[in-house]
Amino acid sequence: MKINRIFTGIALLLLMSMTVCVVSGETYSLLYEDPVTGTYYTGKVFVSNTTFDPVVFFTGDKGTVTYLVTNGNANTSVKLNHITFYDRDLQLLSQNFDTTITLGPLQTRPFTFSILADAPEGDYYPTFSASFYDSNLNHKTLVQIDNTPVELTVVDQPDAFMQGKKKTINMQVANPRKNNVRNVILEVSGAGITASPSRTFVGDLAAGAKTPVNFSVTPDQETTLNLHLTYDNGNNPHEVTMNIPITFGVDKKQADPVMSNIQVTSVGTTYRVTGDVTNAGLETANAVMVTALPPAVPEDPYKTYVVQALKPDDFGSFEITFTTDGKATSVPVQVSFKDSDGNIYTSAQNVTVPDGRLAAVKDDGPPLIPIIAALVIVAVFVGGWFFYLRKKKQ
Amino acid sequence: MLRTFINILIRPGAFFSGLMGEKEESFKWPLVILLAGGIAAAGYGYLLGGSTAQMMSDAVPGIGMIITLGSVVGAVIGVFIFWIIWTAVVFALSMAFKGDGSFKRTLQVIGYGYLPQVIGSVITLIAAIEYVPKIVVPKITSAMMQDPAAMQQVMTGLMRDPAMVELTQITTLITIVFLLWSANIWIFGLQHARKLSSRDAALCVGIPVVLYILYMIYSLGVS
Repeated sequence: MKINRIFTGIALLLLMSMTVCVVSGETYSLLYEDPVTGTYYTGKVFVSNTTFDPVVFFTGDKGTVTYLVTNGNANTSVKLNHITFYDRDLQLLSQNFDTTITLGPLQTRPFTFSILADAPEGDYYPTFSASFYDSNLNHKTLVQIDNTPVELTVVDQPDAFMQGKKKTINMQVANPRKNNVRNVILEVSGAGITASPSRTFVGDLAAGAKTPVNFSVTPDQETTLNLHLTYDNGNNPHEVTMNIPITFGVDKKQADPVMSNIQVTSVGTTYRVTGDVTNAGLETANAVMVTALPPAVPEDPYKTYVVQALKPDDFGSFEITFTTDGKATSVPVQVSFKDSDGNIYTSAQNVTVPDGRLAAVKDDGPPLIPIIAALVIVAVFVGGWFFYLRKKKQ
Repeated sequence: MLRTFINILIRPGAFFSGLMGEKEESFKWPLVILLAGGIAAAGYGYLLGGSTAQMMSDAVPGIGMIITLGSVVGAVIGVFIFWIIWTAVVFALSMAFKGDGSFKRTLQVIGYGYLPQVIGSVITLIAAIEYVPKIVVPKITSAMMQDPAAMQQVMTGLMRDPAMVELTQITTLITIVFLLWSANIWIFGLQHARKLSSRDAALCVGIPVVLYILYMIYSLGVS
């Protein structure tokens, strides 16, 4: 009987203390049942947000998932016990939360788990679970594993490369994934290749976005151009590689200045060559210049004539002046131009010139044969008369 | 006439012996010969003057005709001037050897002796017809007219054109050969016209001819 009284007394004391707390107007209590509505407070505790980083995983990616748990009760705290993350396919790398965590009224608290997406492509619904005093909170969220890589495509490249000539390759980096990727970097390399820039930092690339990446290459030999695109999906590095064969040949679209309507006249001791240069190629010839090559000696006023840029099928007139050594019967006239990459291309065409011009530089010395012949003739004449007179005298 | 010409060319001694029998000096044939030589020289001058006219035409419009005309007339007149001057030189030299004979007679024999040079002029005219079209004539611009050095350079350029050089050399050699032939005739002519010995006549004619030829050779070397 005494024992019963003792228990009864303790129960009464507990009941009284609880009653005192309610009456004294405390802001929150550890009660789990609304004394007015009869509903459990835990019903207002919910997962307000779930964040996966990365948003979409590759198979094998490590990442985090953060659940924001919000206590929707305005004046009641809740205790969360044994907070866990669970999925059959997604591997949990960090620990579950096994300690009791109190969540105040209207408070939100994040719970982050490290996970490994060690599963094939697909949609997964991992479970977030939190235990309350008298119930559990279970929350499922969609997370996707998608192995679609970032795309590296060639937008434009030369038909052929030439040794030592710089050519531009236009690339495009596109992100077909549903999430952003970060730290996108394109590296260009290859044996005997000078690339500029050899490393391009693209930065972040949003889902569905694309960005152009242009670079120039100057090959010294036929080789393979290696393109290495790296990017981070969350904190997981990924890469895409591409090879472009570098073979030498003639660019079919290259500008092709052709000289025509050549006319040679001589002004003083200087040759004056006029004509037209027509761009028979399919690309623009920039800074087209015409000049004469040895044995010609370019002279003012038109040592070199700059025709300027010629678009395909355009033509421009030129005029050059030069002298020769007086022996040349043809003189190579050079046309040079630059392509869009600044490479200089040259071609030469022989222009027939009347020989003997520019006597100023011609000095072969006196004509010995005619002089000797003349002297011999005179000597014969004088000798003949000398012999005749002597004979006559005798 | 043909025989007369052949005698002049081949047997000048016999020709002038017969000529001295005439009391009055006849200048009919000498003038014909000189005129023929002048015409041939005019043809040559026309061709070369045309090149010079072509060279100057851009700088001075209309000068081409003047140059061509000047070359033709100058060549014709030049032959006659040469005739007189040459006669004077020979006549003067013969005076040193106490030559006796009129200037008119000397003028006559020098005129006859010009016959080989007519042949030479015709040959050089043919050579010029062949070579002149090959000459590349440089143009003189108006700006060059203010620069004597540039003008000189252009003229030098013209003279050193291979075709011009060859033509000059051929012309010089032909002229020398036929001048010597003329000299041979002049020696015989002067011998009779000025009553000189063969030696003295050879010296009177030979000295200026050889000097003149040496000058031509010198010009050939420095051109």
